[in-house]
Amino acid sequence: MNVETPIAGDFLSLLAAHKLAPLPSTPAPTAPVQTQATTVFAFEFAEGVLMAGDRRATAGNVIVTDRVDKVIEIDATSLLAIAGVPATAFEMARVLQTSFEYYRRSQLQSLSLPAKVRALARLLRENLAMTMQGIGVVAPLFAGLDNSVSPAKPQIYFYDPLGAQFQAVGYVASGSGSGTIRSVLSFQEQYGSPRPSQMKLGEAIRFALRLLMTASEFDSATGGVNPATRTYATIKLLRSSGVESVGDEQQSACLKG
Amino acid sequence: MTEEPYRWLEAVANRREYVREQLRGGSPAFAASLPDGILLLAVGSGQSKVFELFDRHALAGLGHPADIEKIRQAAIDAAHTESFTRAPEDVSLRRLVSFGLSPQLKTNFEQIFTAPFLVELLLAEIGPEPEKDLLLRLHFDGGFRFQMGGVMVAASQPEPEAAAQAWLNGALAGKNSRREVADMLLQTWWCLVENKPFGEGLPSESDRQEGWRKGTHDRTVELGWLARHAPRTARYEALSLAQAGL
Repeated sequence: MNVETPIAGDFLSLLAAHKLAPLPSTPAPTAPVQTQATTVFAFEFAEGVLMAGDRRATAGNVIVTDRVDKVIEIDATSLLAIAGVPATAFEMARVLQTSFEYYRRSQLQSLSLPAKVRALARLLRENLAMTMQGIGVVAPLFAGLDNSVSPAKPQIYFYDPLGAQFQAVGYVASGSGSGTIRSVLSFQEQYGSPRPSQMKLGEAIRFALRLLMTASEFDSATGGVNPATRTYATIKLLRSSGVESVGDEQQSACLKG
Repeated sequence: MTEEPYRWLEAVANRREYVREQLRGGSPAFAASLPDGILLLAVGSGQSKVFELFDRHALAGLGHPADIEKIRQAAIDAAHTESFTRAPEDVSLRRLVSFGLSPQLKTNFEQIFTAPFLVELLLAEIGPEPEKDLLLRLHFDGGFRFQMGGVMVAASQPEPEAAAQAWLNGALAGKNSRREVADMLLQTWWCLVENKPFGEGLPSESDRQEGWRKGTHDRTVELGWLARHAPRTARYEALSLAQAGL
C-alpha cells in the first residue's frame, strides 16, 4: 500500500520515490551573480533563545520589500533564520518543515536535535552546485531544543554555505549586517550589564530591536526598525516549552519601555 | 468456465464474513465535532488507535495493528506529498479518501488471493466552524460515508454501530463541553463492548459511568483533539483523561 521509503520516516526519500526531489540544480557556465543581504541573529537570554531578523529583501541596490519574515518556525521546537538567496532559503525551510512533521507523525516521535541540525546541513551540501555558482548561497542559523537534558535546553547552531555546522556559544549572527551585530553582541557579553544571557524578556526584545537599528545604520541592505512606519522585526523565542512569536505590539511596547 | 463468476462472488462473500469475524471484539472508536474542535476517542494500549495524520486531520480505528499502521502510513505519505507539492491547505480528507485510501482498500479486498485489511476506520478534518467539520467512516472494503459535524462511531459490527450512532445523536444534543462528550463516548464504548442494548434495557448513567471506569482500568483511553483555533498550523494534540476533565 505504501511507497517504499529507504529510510523510515525520511521525507526526502519519499519525495525521491515520487521523483519530486527538492532543490534540483545543474551547473550553468554563465550564471549571473545575484546579491542578497540581511541581518539575522540569535542570542541566549535568561528564559531561552531569542532569534530575530530584519524584514528587508534586496536585489542589488534595489529594495524589493520590507515585509519579509526571515525567522521561520520550522516546528514547535525549532527555528530557522535565513540569510542568503531567498528562493533557496525559503525552499530549504519548507523542506525542513515538512520533513520534521512527516517524521514526527509517521514515526510517532520527534526527531532529535542532532538529527534536525544534520538535516539542514544535508540540504546545504545538496545545494553545493548553486552555492559554487554564487546564485544559491544560504548561510542560515538554527535553534532547537535539546531534549536529552531536563528541562529541555534551547541551543543555537550556525552553518557555513557548504553545510558545516557549528554550535554557537551565547550568540551568533549572519548576513551582510552581521559584522556590526557581532561587535555589539561581543561588547555587551563582555562588558555589558546586564549581559544578554542575563536579560529578561523585555530587555532582550529591546536589545534585539536596537541591534537591528544599529545594523541598518551601517548596512543599506538591512531594513532596521522604524516605529513611525510601524516597521518592526521578526522576533521569535525558543523556551524549554517551545516556540513563541513576539508581535509588533509587544515590540513597540518594549521599545518605548 | 461459466461458474467462475459465481466462485468469485462466493469468495468475496466469504471474505467479508471472514473479516467481520476477525474484527469481532474489536474496541470501538469515536469522533465528535464540538464548538472548539473535534474529539477522537478509543480505548487501546497507547498510541495504538488514535493518530495525527496532518495539520487538520486525524484518524481513529480498530482492527489489526499492522493493517491500521499500513493505512495510517499511506495517509501520512499522501498528505505530506500533497502538502509539499501544492500547499497544506490543499490536503483534504475528501480527496485523500476518495482518490487514495478507498480505491486501494477496495482493490485489496477484491483480490481474493491476498490478505484483506482487517480495519474499520474513522477520519476527521477540522473546519473553520463546526458545520464544516468533516467526519468520515471508512470500511475495510473501501466503502465510505461522509458527514458534516455531529458524532460518528466505528464498531466491528454494523448493527451495534448503527444503534450506538442513533443513541449518541440524541444523547449528545446540546452537550458542548469536552468533558461531557468524552464521558458520553466512554459510556457508549462500554455499552458496545459489553453488548448492552441502546433501547429498552439501557443501563443507567451511573452504571455506564462505573462500567467504563472499570472497563478501562488496565487499558489506555486514547484521546485526540483537533483544535479549531491554535497558534500553530498543526492542530492535533493527544490528551490525557485528566486534560479532558475526567
